Amino acid sequence: MMSSQLKGMNIAGMGVVFTGGRGLASLDTSLRQGFAPPQMSKSTALKGSIPAYRVPEHILKDKSVLKGFRRADRFCRMAVLAAWDAVQDSGVIFEAGSSSLGIIMASALGPHSTTFGFLDNVIDYGDNNVSPKLFSHSVHNTATFYIAKVLDSRGPCTTLTQFAFSFHEALIAAEAWLAEGRCDYVLVGGVDETHTVMEHISAQKLRIANDGRIRQFDFSETPIAAPGEGAVFFLVTRQPTDKPHCRFASASTFDTKEIAKRPDIRMVDADGMAGSESPYRGLDWRDVYAAGYSPIFGSTMIGTGFHCAAAALMLKGQLRYACPIKDNPHGLRLCERTEPASIERIECVRFNCLGKKASVVLTR
Amino acid sequence: MNGIDDNRLKETRAKLKELLVTGLELEDVTPDEIADDEALFGEGLGLDSLDAVEIVVILERHFGLKIKDMSTGRKAFQSIDTLAKYVCDNTPSKED
Amino acid sequence: MLDLNLMNVAITGLGAISAAGGNLSETLETFGLGKRNAAPVSLFPTSLKHPSFEVQKIPEEWNRGGSRTLQLALCATNEALEDAGIKGDVSSLRVGVCFGTTAASQLNDVDFYRAYRETGTLRMDSVDRFLKGNLAEVVAHTFDLHGPAAVVVNACTSGADAIGMALSWLRNDVCDVAVAGGSDELNLIALSGFASLGILSESLCAPYDRNRKGLNLGEGAGVLVLESEAVYSARGAKPKRYLMGYGSSSDAYHLTAPRPDGTGLESALRTALNEANIKPDDVSFVNAHGTATLDNDKIEGAVFTKVFGKGTKFLSTKGFTGHTLGAAGGLEAVFTTAALDVGWIPASAGFNCQDEEIGISPVSERTPIAGRYAVSTSLAFGGNNSALVIASAE
Repeated sequence: MMSSQLKGMNIAGMGVVFTGGRGLASLDTSLRQGFAPPQMSKSTALKGSIPAYRVPEHILKDKSVLKGFRRADRFCRMAVLAAWDAVQDSGVIFEAGSSSLGIIMASALGPHSTTFGFLDNVIDYGDNNVSPKLFSHSVHNTATFYIAKVLDSRGPCTTLTQFAFSFHEALIAAEAWLAEGRCDYVLVGGVDETHTVMEHISAQKLRIANDGRIRQFDFSETPIAAPGEGAVFFLVTRQPTDKPHCRFASASTFDTKEIAKRPDIRMVDADGMAGSESPYRGLDWRDVYAAGYSPIFGSTMIGTGFHCAAAALMLKGQLRYACPIKDNPHGLRLCERTEPASIERIECVRFNCLGKKASVVLTR
Repeated sequence: MNGIDDNRLKETRAKLKELLVTGLELEDVTPDEIADDEALFGEGLGLDSLDAVEIVVILERHFGLKIKDMSTGRKAFQSIDTLAKYVCDNTPSKED
Repeated sequence: MLDLNLMNVAITGLGAISAAGGNLSETLETFGLGKRNAAPVSLFPTSLKHPSFEVQKIPEEWNRGGSRTLQLALCATNEALEDAGIKGDVSSLRVGVCFGTTAASQLNDVDFYRAYRETGTLRMDSVDRFLKGNLAEVVAHTFDLHGPAAVVVNACTSGADAIGMALSWLRNDVCDVAVAGGSDELNLIALSGFASLGILSESLCAPYDRNRKGLNLGEGAGVLVLESEAVYSARGAKPKRYLMGYGSSSDAYHLTAPRPDGTGLESALRTALNEANIKPDDVSFVNAHGTATLDNDKIEGAVFTKVFGKGTKFLSTKGFTGHTLGAAGGLEAVFTTAALDVGWIPASAGFNCQDEEIGISPVSERTPIAGRYAVSTSLAFGGNNSALVIASAE
């Protein structure tokens, strides 16, 4: 935020769950391996199938972390695992019942497969005979309940929802909480899932990349998408930490004039989910590496979260990952190979369907 | 014993165990492992208030039973035994 | 530790729509008369005949093709912005918008889904209404406000938490002004869901009463305009009331039951009081969450006794509005502020006889209030507890 008092925060730990697996090692491996075609999700309604970067079921069966969470649906499981891993990764130990941790989760669509399951109940059994378990899991904040429960965390806890910028708003809120001293640490992250109804809606509303090859540098007015899902969490703090990954220097959803210090790498969240991507063409691309890793986790409204995780790995490891899809019609200076590099600053940019820009800047 | 025959109780108990394990998504327990007189709530099977209202729905869907008053529910929901008796007492047997 | 040297945040505008009235003055009239506008649901077909609190009429100008929840939000925002006197050109200010809701966050449209299941067709009007219905974004767009925009989905604390979020924005200079509150429509999903949980009352709800049988659902929107005191003063006005503190905690206990010892709510309350830099004795009344479920009222009552003592004045306004879910925290913050303005709180509608298990009673008649400070509490499924401290100017 240009004019605000927010001064950034350290990333003490990270956790991810995505189609390629769970954990930072899996993310690093997938980023190094590059493009792998997604599975195809059958749709009877479409009389065909849609590519979807789905999280494999076996990843969500961790019995040690999820013990006692028998009712938790996929959405909650993804959220809990990524949040738990972020805390483990940091090495920070929170005492049971501690209020020093805040939790802020962003989701564009919430646990909609459970929501539709609840609607199945209403239709199949009538409005006076629905499952209370399904109802209680059909709301967005169930996942943060499970996260607070697994960590026995009694601090503040909130869930934000917006289509394009909820992860950005979550970062701004996390920084504000830390600055106010509302908590010492915040687990901030994003979760979204795919489901046949939403995939079907995507197929009608968007152009789908049938081969899963999301072309992030076309900046097309009619871009193509391939739905993805997963969860990504960051443990952030203003306090000094042992081995921080890097810093969130700033996040903004408005008032995003070009930043004085130019980034070494700009990641674009152009993944076909938000209409015309022509605004990306207007960014100043001189002397900036362009990167985009959406084909690693799929098109998702919380893609900025995954891009930030990739950016953090790059800043810490001082390397550039090769872009998985390298089509480059505008002649940008693309990250073509995975190679060591000197990187101080990475910017992640996303435009929404109104052409409004949001950005997150990460620094070493 | 007026009507409730042992076979029917036994079948109902087995059916209920299966419905609880699947309907409540119980972990690490199979229907056979639930004892007839085991406490369903608290110690024992460890069910909670959200399971209690879910059981109400299970009973309605599978036995056509409507429990409007949870104080009735609390008495009937002690164990598989009490639940099976409640179901048999309040639903017609197949022969009826 | 909280930095107590925080900037002052003024409450400069109020807007409310619920079954108790289409605006704040109508609402206060209803409160004064003790009128309870509940009836079985008329908005949609249902087999559930529980009394519900529906909004009688939303002015046609807010029906712009969006959801009912959005219309309610626009209506209350308009009232609050007019009250604050900042309608029109606000391009020089960074104005944030933060809304709590439950209904507007999901594509939970039964007719849409039935058509999809039966024929595989997607009714795009429903999809578009959902995709173009993010409350914060649309409210910002409609009133041409430029600043951060967020929608908080914390079930029944959403409205209070949205106000808390706006407070954090203002204190951190993320924006100059914030429109914050909650909005929710009555819909079949919530009605059948709450019925399945066995906590809907078949009679009019009776918060804190010995014979309470559960909650009634309602709908509405409640909105505050918040401004940093410096910005407001620059407009040549002196604030009449302030948002002094916000506290929030999670129970980490159970998805649908509050922590029995009430420590979560107590912690939220104490955080809010600390932020406001006041003692429990300074609080002149509490606008309780008071849903009229057995658990909620018992735990809230115990925590009030512990924190404020037995003699504290408190009430639940849900006897007038029903439980408006994501809107509740917003509406009740508006009611709390308005009560400080007018100097009285209404009788806690539906209360007749004390529950020995609770041991304290809400006010049973219109009661004058003295003192500057008031508290509004909210609790939610998922274990969220929130408290706001509001003060009138000295």
